[in-house]
Amino acid sequence: MTITLDRLRGPLVALTSLAVGAGIWEWLGTRIPKTEFVGFWATVKALGHLIGNGQLGSALGESMEVFGIGLAIGAAIGFFLGLLLSRVEWLRIGLEPYITAAYAMPSVALAPFVLAVFGFEVKAKVIVVVVFGIWPILINTLEGARSVNPELLEVARSYRSSEPKLWLHVIVPYTLPYTMTGFRQSIARCLVGMIAAEFILSSSGLGDLIIRNTERFQTANVLASILTITLLATALIGLGRVVENYFARWRAGA
Amino acid sequence: MTATTVAARLPRTFALTPRARRVCLQVATGIVLLALWEGLVTWLAPFYVTRPSGVVRHAWEVLSNRPTALTQLSGTFWYDVQTTVIAVLEGLAIGVTCGVFVGLAMGRLRDVEWALKYYVGAFFALPTIAMVPLMTLWFGYSSTARLVIVIIGAFLPVALNVYEGVRKLPVTYLEVARTYHARWWNVWFGIALPASLPYLLAGIRLAAGRALVAAVVAEYLLAIRGLGFLIKADMQSFSENQAMIALIALALIGVALNTLVNVATARLLPWYRREGR
Repeated sequence: MTITLDRLRGPLVALTSLAVGAGIWEWLGTRIPKTEFVGFWATVKALGHLIGNGQLGSALGESMEVFGIGLAIGAAIGFFLGLLLSRVEWLRIGLEPYITAAYAMPSVALAPFVLAVFGFEVKAKVIVVVVFGIWPILINTLEGARSVNPELLEVARSYRSSEPKLWLHVIVPYTLPYTMTGFRQSIARCLVGMIAAEFILSSSGLGDLIIRNTERFQTANVLASILTITLLATALIGLGRVVENYFARWRAGA
Repeated sequence: MTATTVAARLPRTFALTPRARRVCLQVATGIVLLALWEGLVTWLAPFYVTRPSGVVRHAWEVLSNRPTALTQLSGTFWYDVQTTVIAVLEGLAIGVTCGVFVGLAMGRLRDVEWALKYYVGAFFALPTIAMVPLMTLWFGYSSTARLVIVIIGAFLPVALNVYEGVRKLPVTYLEVARTYHARWWNVWFGIALPASLPYLLAGIRLAAGRALVAAVVAEYLLAIRGLGFLIKADMQSFSENQAMIALIALALIGVALNTLVNVATARLLPWYRREGR
């Protein structure tokens, strides 16, 4: 009996805390002018309204198009480049400092330059997302592929495995768990890239929803949009974690 | 094949050390990348798009703070560097300090853990920059808005990482502490904090990245003086080469922050090779 109570305590505290949070939110909404902050209930109503008139749905669609294409392209390039660099040593040594620098620099600052060259289309936003998302996958894949047990490579080579077969049967299966860690990190970075592209290039999607409603002091809609992005990001990163854990189990099992 | 035979035939004094060969290779790659950039832009892009030769041509003009006819605002490059760096460092100091306290409390106290972990997790997942427009409603188009968004960006990764580090504290440490009747502050700051230092440093690395991005986006969208705004002003007056110098400065700041964390890791944790996350 005491054990079940003890076990329930955590979730109960969490629920109370969420309820208190919503309460404070609601209370602040009554104290602060409507142009600056609105209560919890007003935000939920605004969210319902945005869903009802289809604005949220179309914004979500636009954002997810940019995010999805960008993540897919970034992941493909990062994965392939990571494998390539692990096999071609002079290229890896040559590019290493530039990759580190590209990862450490704030990628948002590149967005205006992408805007100048590629304009306002979806393509330009996808490029911004790719620039954000490519690095974690590239770096993790490279690290994984470099840590392949040399004995495995030697055995494969002594059986006259060709380079493509070596990649397919030894390096890629060994590296995938590492890549998936990078993939999860890339999801988070691509979301930032998506919002940055929608703010800085032509506004569209969820970023546009935020900017437009901020300019009109429709604070309820702003908060509803941020709430949507929070839920979306939590879900996508959670998904990334599930995929990562699936592959990590594979690594542990091997 | 031929390269190695030539190298073997050279007198010993000409043979390069492995380190020097690395550096040569990296410099050569850099030159190839710059040449590619120059060539592609000259071949494909409109005249105003930035290219290495243009950046070199305008470097002195920007770095010497000289205002130009086109861009009155870019006359004070070093002022913009300074205000961005100070905002980022200020925000990092506040954000990291708060993050350490919240992380420790979450790691040590179960009720605090359960009360806060969904909030911290959700705000960590949310791209911090999505809140920049909201900050304008609260703080106006001011540098306070930038500071607040930088603090938020810095706080979350640190809180989450310290929390994770404290939770993985070896039980034996705590048992020894209890045997010696350690007080709670001894356990928090004498045991839990030092033991989670690798996590803290990994968190600070993430925090530095987020803080810089937050500052740049805030400057860009809110038109607050700083490198982000400088890029915007230069881009809008087709002075892309000048804007590229600001971008390079941002990249250098990012690399410098990263290096700082690396040096701290090497100094404080010589046994620790790389972060586990």
